[in-house]
Amino acid sequence: MGDLFSLFIASVFIQNIILTQFLGMCPFMGVSRNSSSAIGMGGAVTFVIVASSLVTYGLYHGVLLPLNLAYMDLITFILVIASLVQLTEMIIKKVSPSLYKSLGVYLPLITTNCAVLHVALENINKGHDFAQMLTYSIAIPIGFTLVLYIFSTIRERLDVSKVPNALKGNPIALIVAGIMALAFSGLAGLV
Amino acid sequence: MLYAIITMLVLGALLGLGLGIASKYLAVKEDERIEMVTQMLPNYNCGSCGYPGCSGLAQALVNGEVTTVGTCRPCKADQKEAIAEYLNKTPGPDGKCLKVKV
Repeated sequence: MGDLFSLFIASVFIQNIILTQFLGMCPFMGVSRNSSSAIGMGGAVTFVIVASSLVTYGLYHGVLLPLNLAYMDLITFILVIASLVQLTEMIIKKVSPSLYKSLGVYLPLITTNCAVLHVALENINKGHDFAQMLTYSIAIPIGFTLVLYIFSTIRERLDVSKVPNALKGNPIALIVAGIMALAFSGLAGLV
Repeated sequence: MLYAIITMLVLGALLGLGLGIASKYLAVKEDERIEMVTQMLPNYNCGSCGYPGCSGLAQALVNGEVTTVGTCRPCKADQKEAIAEYLNKTPGPDGKCLKVKV
């Protein structure tokens, strides 16, 4: 249990998917303009990562390994992730059209979000057992959502503050992201 | 090799089937006029109207954001008239017709 807890903390903060591994940068810059769509994106990514990890883990250990097809893992995982993103898109379109609109093109782009594939592959590469796999695939999107939300609140403040003309918009956001990454690197070695 | 192909085929078929079923249950009713207007536009997807593609302009026309078909530059005169006539005569889900200029 203690191992799982330290894996959880390490995955959320120390090995944070955005700020220390620099994966999933596209939605990080794209959907962080306001905090409500950041939460929506976090929810969508969480759903896709947890569901795709469960399915890919099952497929890898139930189908690919017994058939000696371990080398097929990448293409199988991409297939699963792409269909799950399609499903998520349909659900969001049905449940919340306003969220669907605010996520725009970034919703289908979850397919190519490397964070999703990273979690599916790391579960295999690190030899996680089922409990570790579940902890890891819940912790990573929580870290993703947390950083996305913090970043979006900072950007909301940036919109109303006086920024030098040359740095307006994305440049200052990139600088802020860099400072956030520096701050997070201070957590290294905690666990 | 054979197993690999069969596995991929089965997996693809299963996922496709699942998505097909899901799309039936999760279908969102869209205004039929959007589809019709999209087909009547030139479909060059040139973007000169300011929308990403013809379907974007069709949606804007049906929602009332754009009231002149002339926003579409490459559209020919008779096409514009046909679209305006269609939108002015076909009632939407609320039973009202739009007022669109050519």
